[in-house]
Amino acid sequence: MHRLYTRSPIAKIMWGILSSLVGIIVLLMVLVSENPRMEAQTLNWEGRSIENGAKLFADNCATCHGPNGQGLLGRAPGLNSYYFFTETGRIKDVGWVGTLEDYVLLTIAAGRPSKTESQWPEVMPTWDGKFGGPMRGDQVVDLTAYVMNWEASALAQTPDEDPFQPFDDVILPAEFQNTAYLLLSEEEQAAALEEYRARNIRSPQEIWQSEACFACHNLEVNQVDYAGQNGPNFADLHERADSRVAGMTAEEYVYESIVSPRAFVVETYEEVGQMPENFAEKLSEDEIQALVAWLLDPDREVTEEE
Amino acid sequence: MGLQENIREKGVLGAAAAQADDVFTRLTAGIDAGEFRRMLQGEPPGRPNPRLKPHSEGFLLHIKPTYYHESVTRFTHTYRLGLLSTYLFIVETITGILLMIWYAPSPERAYTDMILLLTNIPFGQFLRDMHRLGAEAMVAIVTLHMVRCYLTGSYKPPRQFTWFTGVLLLVMTLFLSFSGYLLPWDQLAFWAVTIGTSMAEAVPPAVVGETVNLLARGAPDIGANGLLRFYLLHVLFLPLLLILFFFVHYYKVVHFGISLPADEEEVGEDTANRVPADKRVYYLPDVLVDETSFMTVMTALLIVLTVFFFQAPLEHIANPQSTPLHTVAPWYFYWLQGLLKIADKFIAGVLLPGVLLVLLMAIPYLDYNPSRRGKDRKVAIVAGIVAGVVMIIWSWMGTPEYAVEGAPSVEIVQDVMPEEGSGISREIGYKHLPLGVWRTDEVYDVHDHEFEELLHEFNIAVDYYRRADPDFNAPIGILTITQDQPGLKKLNWEITWFDAEGTAGEYKKTFWLHEDSLYWEQYGWKHLFLGYVADGWNSLSGALVGE
Repeated sequence: MHRLYTRSPIAKIMWGILSSLVGIIVLLMVLVSENPRMEAQTLNWEGRSIENGAKLFADNCATCHGPNGQGLLGRAPGLNSYYFFTETGRIKDVGWVGTLEDYVLLTIAAGRPSKTESQWPEVMPTWDGKFGGPMRGDQVVDLTAYVMNWEASALAQTPDEDPFQPFDDVILPAEFQNTAYLLLSEEEQAAALEEYRARNIRSPQEIWQSEACFACHNLEVNQVDYAGQNGPNFADLHERADSRVAGMTAEEYVYESIVSPRAFVVETYEEVGQMPENFAEKLSEDEIQALVAWLLDPDREVTEEE
Repeated sequence: MGLQENIREKGVLGAAAAQADDVFTRLTAGIDAGEFRRMLQGEPPGRPNPRLKPHSEGFLLHIKPTYYHESVTRFTHTYRLGLLSTYLFIVETITGILLMIWYAPSPERAYTDMILLLTNIPFGQFLRDMHRLGAEAMVAIVTLHMVRCYLTGSYKPPRQFTWFTGVLLLVMTLFLSFSGYLLPWDQLAFWAVTIGTSMAEAVPPAVVGETVNLLARGAPDIGANGLLRFYLLHVLFLPLLLILFFFVHYYKVVHFGISLPADEEEVGEDTANRVPADKRVYYLPDVLVDETSFMTVMTALLIVLTVFFFQAPLEHIANPQSTPLHTVAPWYFYWLQGLLKIADKFIAGVLLPGVLLVLLMAIPYLDYNPSRRGKDRKVAIVAGIVAGVVMIIWSWMGTPEYAVEGAPSVEIVQDVMPEEGSGISREIGYKHLPLGVWRTDEVYDVHDHEFEELLHEFNIAVDYYRRADPDFNAPIGILTITQDQPGLKKLNWEITWFDAEGTAGEYKKTFWLHEDSLYWEQYGWKHLFLGYVADGWNSLSGALVGE
């Protein structure tokens, strides 16, 4: 019967075996190239996302943030900026604890709750459709990728090139609000601040006001009941300070409480624990000494503003 | 016989051999080891033929005939096109189910899932490319199968209904392929399907058309609901419907037998089921070996084509606000798009395709000529060829080549840097685009061969439209390439011209290109055969030589 069958089954079986081998070899070739392919593809689609973002930026953002992202004074701050990209720059000043990328994404998506009284009267609008803006989520992601792609060029900027456009709420003294200061090393920044404080010693009253001690502590006897929600009342500090901790003088105790607030917490305030721990950095040694003496002075003058 | 008794009688080895043979016979649904060996050695079966048993006892073979006529087993009679269609449907089912693992049918996720599949899933791109290639091949093979049956007159009595179900299967294959088109949720998908469903709107009366359109899209425009509906059509409804009609179709094929070559039987006779004993080719083992080896060869072919030659496109994410220039339907609907250019939506989109479909299904009932022989069917064969040529012409009219010229300036930029896809600018890539201003009215001494070619193409395009359009005089093309960001170049295309009255015109278009972008077939092994080795793609060769 097989005589009738014109082509040899052996030839067919050989074709089958040969094809299986070819198929397996080609699949193995794909297998060994999968990792580099996936890497190249990942970069490819990140690149395309940046391309999409570039068009969106040119169409929607360049009018305020400048065609090169260098910002326009009075309109919108620079993004292609050393200050914007460095860790001690924008995200530190706004108190953002996440990554800059998240900050950019959120700001584009939901806008910025900007102070209208700042030097940037125009408020960043919302862009994501979820928050009432005109864009889709993927467009916001593309736009973020484009803005973040300035990182390399921004971080290579010299102080002259950096547009440096911060908001008003920067904590640093005005003379340090520039890229030159941001470019210093940590030690150099500390030395520069120390030198600045030595030049600008504030009185204890000024410190009490500018560091907002009054927000939690109180200096007046008749407000004992009212104050003390967040921090102990200091009207009678001179009377109790030296007996608080055994083996410490009143001066030592108050000094220690300013520079490391968690060292001795008055019992009823254990739950609160909000005293900032950075006064050792923000105040010079002389200022702290003067503040301690002023707090322990039974005859100190209390300013009227309270 | 109990095991103990068996051992006592045959000894341990003998009993084990008998047991093994028993298991073998059960697995093959009736072929014992000795018969299997005789099959391999090419010896004829005993009588009664034990090789018929798997057909009556096993489920898988019960739908296959036990023997074929020798004439229909020749490759050149059927080209195995029906088997190949079924095989491709199985390939589509397997790759499709695997792809479903990484896909969610929602506009928020679909496109991102595609990118995730391409960037993070080993063999992800392979699966997608194979699924797409298999789908397009299935449309082609099913069509060829129909052409073959037409040319051999196989639709004639008693196989009219087989032909009818075959036409239904073709329609389902087209719809299956088309419904999968939307799922990647890119511009290509979105606009092809928007145009496709808008044809349904032309069905009269208006209330019916609107309702059909609304049911398909799930809303006046395609959105989350439309995507979900197309997804369900694609993965559930249409495959199930196709499987149902496949079995009807295949039952008819087996029931009437495959029609013999026309000159082997008298005109008006059908002897496919009266196979003389000496013309019988049994399924086991000959046809099984033939079909298995054929499908193995096809699998290898499909793998090779997928890995080296084919790439499923993925354009920008779907944007309902912007229609890309030169939106096209899938190639198997080019003919429909061509018709839509010359007639209105109702005639071209509903009436003509409807009439064509009914005609196609009715061919066996209209063709009263009893002969299946070519020399008796001159009218039918000429008509078939004419229909094929007309389809090809309509299809050509469906491409952007025909009657969709935009303004010359727009077309020039589209030629060298299209909105979607690559174009020569993206093919040569970031590294071959030097910064500077490049004008078509000046000659540059560039040492970069790739860039030289781009400037040449740019010149040719400007020159072509200058000669073709009297309203496009003294045109100058200016390409300005600037560094926009680290690793990102900005390509500003500017065309200036004067119209017939001497009024100056100007057109500007800006694109960006990132150095890591791979716009052409620069993925995986495809660059080996498709020509262009991108600079950004040295990582593969690097990895292979152990860098």
